[in-house]
Amino acid sequence: MSSMTPPVSANRVWVFYAFALPFAALTIIFGLWPIVLSFSVSLTKSATALRAEPIYVGLENYLSVLSDPIFRASLISTLIYTLASVVANVLFALGYAMLLHSTLIGPGRTIFKVAMFLPVVTPDLAGYAVWRWLYDQSFGAVNAFLDLVGLPAFGGIASPDTAMIAILIAELWHHTGFFVLIFLANLAICDRSLEEAAEIDGANRWQRKLYVVLPQMRPSLVINTVYAVIQFLKTFTVVVIITKGGPNGATNFVSYYAYRLFDQGRYGEAMAMASILFVIVAAVALVAYRIGDRRPS
Amino acid sequence: MIKRLLASCAFAALATGVSAEELVIWHDLGDNGIAWFDAVGQEFAKTHPDVTITSVSYPTDQWYGRVISAINTDTAPDLIYNNYERVIRIETQTENLADMAGPLDAVDDTGFLTEADLNVASYGGKMIILPIQRVQMGFGARSSWLEAVGEEFPATWEDAKRVAGKFMTEDPDGNGEDDTFGFALEAANPRDLIHMLDLFIFGAGLRHTLIDPEGNIVIDAPEHAEVLKEFLKTFTEYGYVAPDTINHSFAEMYQVIEGGRAGMFRVGDWNVKKWDSEALEGDFIVGEWPAHFDDKENAVVIGGMRGVAVPENSPHKDLAIEFAQFLLSQPAQQLALENVGAAVRDDLAVDDLSERRQYFAKAQGNLNAYDFPESLHAFYPELEATYHRKLLDAIANPPEDWDAFISQTAEEMREEAAKLSQG
Repeated sequence: MSSMTPPVSANRVWVFYAFALPFAALTIIFGLWPIVLSFSVSLTKSATALRAEPIYVGLENYLSVLSDPIFRASLISTLIYTLASVVANVLFALGYAMLLHSTLIGPGRTIFKVAMFLPVVTPDLAGYAVWRWLYDQSFGAVNAFLDLVGLPAFGGIASPDTAMIAILIAELWHHTGFFVLIFLANLAICDRSLEEAAEIDGANRWQRKLYVVLPQMRPSLVINTVYAVIQFLKTFTVVVIITKGGPNGATNFVSYYAYRLFDQGRYGEAMAMASILFVIVAAVALVAYRIGDRRPS
Repeated sequence: MIKRLLASCAFAALATGVSAEELVIWHDLGDNGIAWFDAVGQEFAKTHPDVTITSVSYPTDQWYGRVISAINTDTAPDLIYNNYERVIRIETQTENLADMAGPLDAVDDTGFLTEADLNVASYGGKMIILPIQRVQMGFGARSSWLEAVGEEFPATWEDAKRVAGKFMTEDPDGNGEDDTFGFALEAANPRDLIHMLDLFIFGAGLRHTLIDPEGNIVIDAPEHAEVLKEFLKTFTEYGYVAPDTINHSFAEMYQVIEGGRAGMFRVGDWNVKKWDSEALEGDFIVGEWPAHFDDKENAVVIGGMRGVAVPENSPHKDLAIEFAQFLLSQPAQQLALENVGAAVRDDLAVDDLSERRQYFAKAQGNLNAYDFPESLHAFYPELEATYHRKLLDAIANPPEDWDAFISQTAEEMREEAAKLSQG
């Protein structure tokens, strides 16, 4: 008998395509077509963008956007925020998941799991509206607490110096539970015998976590990092609800800026920004995936 | 007999279907606007029995996007209604609004419209709106708070500062909490901050906020610089506003006013009807903006003009223009005054209005009109956006020397204006 894979009959191939076709069509209609359409709009004069016969202006909108100092500042803010958010969310979630998985937390583990996951299922609007009130400089709970314990007031969303940190904390609250869930799933399939072997070999708790458990967490680290990069590069809802791009443009991230232009009917420039952001998101996500997926030497 | 009856019914239904028309108008005037257009629609129906008027009110931000996309996709409403500067933005993004100069000429009685009214209505060589309501904005103060701190309505800026200080320290609402502020202002979005500055500048009797008709930057002229400095200090050094004001736009500003957190605020003629009956329940006095100079008359600010525009692709363009013309008639104007608090005609009955509404309707205060630089300098919106960013930056990071900041900003604005004017 040959060890080669037996040839697949032509009928079975057609059956496969028949089943795959509806999903391929949905992907094209709802996934690829909007991307093509938005790119097409980015090449048109805004006032004619939605008409049956738009006027195409080539790369004019891209040149306009790239020469706009507000867009450049917005792009830099977005990248800084994404970097800080990805690091903060992934590290915090990893630490929290390891804590939940350890024996340090006893029977209260379920409560901690629920507490961490509840914000994920809380509607964005409700959660971020509460954060906005928490940060209020007049009656917000954050500064009331800091005042109570004798610490200086936090500028929160009222200061350009702290606004980014303020919304990072709000997003950390909202998203971490999801990342924790992925890490917990990975921890559940880690090989405990390796940890026990390391313990027998004399490795302490930290060494076991760092050199035995963490390498086994690679798949979830890759997934969470890539997802977080995509998520935070597109940060939008928290800005709309809490800061509206302010104060003084400190949180005017690209998604929000594009939305503002879109709302003013500047469709061409808005779509040019969206296209630039799409390319960045795709490129960064791909690079992050490739780096994360590289086999250790 | 039955056949004849059925035939009559069918004919009647067909006739109704053919002749009944609905004009749709999109605005941002809220419930008062809807009530106004309902009432005007009934009045219009007296001469056009088969026409119904349907008005839809959107929040201002949504109004822009919806109008622009509707006009650009040939799904436009019959008419749009808003402030002139917002309609200018619609025209720049669609280039598809009808010229209303001809329809205005066809109106018999337009003597009540001033040259300034007509100038405001024009942009890019055509009349983009029929002017329907002048926008007046006065200065308001909560009467019970004034009474609580033993003060009168502030006549001068020094009075206003003293009252603001008392409002913040003497618990004017008597709730035992240190939770009240002197002023409710806004600063978040482009135009928010400049809009507030306009009120301070024109309210103080000055004529230009940033640039004069000849293209000269005026912000470092002594009187302008004085008002500008006091305005910026109100947000910073004096701290008379809620600390979050840098993130406040209209919605948040209204929350501060109606939620009883600030004692002095802008009162638009369109606010009074609501604030007379709910929210403030009439607990406010309205007057001119505080005086900054002995030799200049302080004023209520005429901040612009609201008007009606007709898209070129309006589904019922001729009828829409007819309705737009009708909005200038005495009955429609009377209804505008009663429902939305403003009009342009001078022959309206005002005696039944409340004292505060009469203040605007009878133009009892000294009036100073906004100078509409956007109609003179095509580059003004861009210049203003740059100016707004400078001022917002100063509020976020207050300079040590305000005079130096104003001088430097003036120079930067001159360079920017020169650059922009060269295209």
